[in-house]
Amino acid sequence: MALTNFKLMKQILLILSTILACAFSAQAKLNVVATLPDFGSLAREIGGDKVNVTVLAKPTEDSHFVDARPSFVVQLRTADVLIDGGAELELGWLPPLLQNARNPKIEVGKPGRVQASQGIRLMGVPTTLTRAAGDVHALGNPHFMIDPIIAKAVAQHIAQAFSAVDSVNAATYEANYKKFEATINSKLQQWGATLLPFKGQPVAAYHESWVYFAHRFGFNIDIFLEPKPGIPPSPSHLVEVIEKMKAAHVKAILVEPYHNRKIAEKVAASTGAKVVDVAQFPGALPATDTYVALIDALVSRIAAAMK
Amino acid sequence: MWEVMFWPIVACVLLPWLLVYLGLHVVQRGIIFIDIAMAQMASLGICLAVLFHLDLQGWATFGIALGFTLVGGAIFSVTGKRSSQIPQEAVIGISYVVAAAAAVLLLSRAAEGDEQIKQMLVGNILLVTPLEVWKCFALFVAVGIVHFVLRQNFLLVSFDRDEAYQQGLRVRWWDFLFYAVFGLVVTSFVRIAGVLLVFSYLIVPAVCGINLARRISNRLLIGWIIALIGGVAGLFLSFWWDLPSGAAIVCTFGALLILVSLLAFCRNRFQRLIDTP
Repeated sequence: MALTNFKLMKQILLILSTILACAFSAQAKLNVVATLPDFGSLAREIGGDKVNVTVLAKPTEDSHFVDARPSFVVQLRTADVLIDGGAELELGWLPPLLQNARNPKIEVGKPGRVQASQGIRLMGVPTTLTRAAGDVHALGNPHFMIDPIIAKAVAQHIAQAFSAVDSVNAATYEANYKKFEATINSKLQQWGATLLPFKGQPVAAYHESWVYFAHRFGFNIDIFLEPKPGIPPSPSHLVEVIEKMKAAHVKAILVEPYHNRKIAEKVAASTGAKVVDVAQFPGALPATDTYVALIDALVSRIAAAMK
Repeated sequence: MWEVMFWPIVACVLLPWLLVYLGLHVVQRGIIFIDIAMAQMASLGICLAVLFHLDLQGWATFGIALGFTLVGGAIFSVTGKRSSQIPQEAVIGISYVVAAAAAVLLLSRAAEGDEQIKQMLVGNILLVTPLEVWKCFALFVAVGIVHFVLRQNFLLVSFDRDEAYQQGLRVRWWDFLFYAVFGLVVTSFVRIAGVLLVFSYLIVPAVCGINLARRISNRLLIGWIIALIGGVAGLFLSFWWDLPSGAAIVCTFGALLILVSLLAFCRNRFQRLIDTP
């Protein structure tokens, strides 16, 4: 009884949605779903008013753990394009969502699927694959978007995907990409100049998510409060960290919103370093709605702490 | 909406009947937190499997987890004495914290991040797959048959322990059997629905039933109705307001319990008014 009702409702909904789809398809925008806010920000830059962008994870959420809600499945079901990291960052939550959404347009290998890590040489690729090394990502460190030059490559990848799926507006996407590229290029000079005085200096971080940033701007990040990625700090490890930080005169500890700030404060108190609140995602720090604004904020915060 | 919510609704219709029934036993025995302790025992077993680098989806891991649940069952049946100064709930609480802390220690040594393990242990009702639902349903049917065939002894041991002892039943062995089967049910449901939901399905419908009825069959009937309404309504709310599904169901259960309590209160008042001349 209940089952036949479901079927009837299902059919009615199907017919309704088909009618609606026909009515609006003339000027429909591209439905873009981004797993994380940094991809979402890039998608908005490239898509402009030709796309509707939905971001699944909140900027202050730990991108390794995201709580699924019904709308996630609905959005994935109706997506024309899905942008995800592709390097196992969303391993814990995206695959079951995709399995439930069953949307052939965004399967891996289709033009509607952008896996940001494709064509990017990832850092920290483990040489042997055992679980013994901690919560290591087999494909390499997936926190690559924080490097503006990699972000440019990802933006180009997104522009190509948009053009492939929506060829009518290909020229707009290409032009928007050129604009974004130019902004990043000019900003890179400014960011590089601000951080130049601190080149080669050591910085500590809570999680191994800053290696790309450090590499780009010439910092030395090899002290982490976590003994292994995803493993909470043990007392003996913290003692070791404090000694290393004192020896290297580290001035800044980078902490993200979902990390344990108290541990960082404790280490800071016994080393004289400053805790710097940073974030991987646009929107997690005040007034950082776009990718460029986020990098601006990161550069100025780190520069202020290192002075 | 159906495409997204169909399997969660099927899960909420097909699976909770056994949990409601077991919940009546659990509430009667006064061992409310046993499900969480059992689930924690199973996850301790899985952490051990991680330490030995076993395949987390494989049979060996399942065997270790089951073994730990049986150890839990043994502990609870040995400590559930006829008359003891130490309440059973204390032993359950201790088992829970020790198992949880031991899991933390094991993981720190195994050096495995808990991302995958968490995902494996704590399911999300929104993302159930048809295969998971049918597997769990088959297990529940099997357990249901065991409980139905042996219902007299199981009920006697849970609801009238003195009588059980007088009839010469081997109460501890029946306890052990109860806990072992219970552990199997709880761990398999936790894997598809999460800890919060298991607890709610066990306890809330049973408490509602006890509130409104005296006979076990009536309590069970009320419990089943509550479980059905709470689960399906919670899923609908979770869809309309876009909330995490498990938590939405739990809060719906909370609201239902308040309603039922009010109903029971009003009924008692009314009865007293009639009784007093």
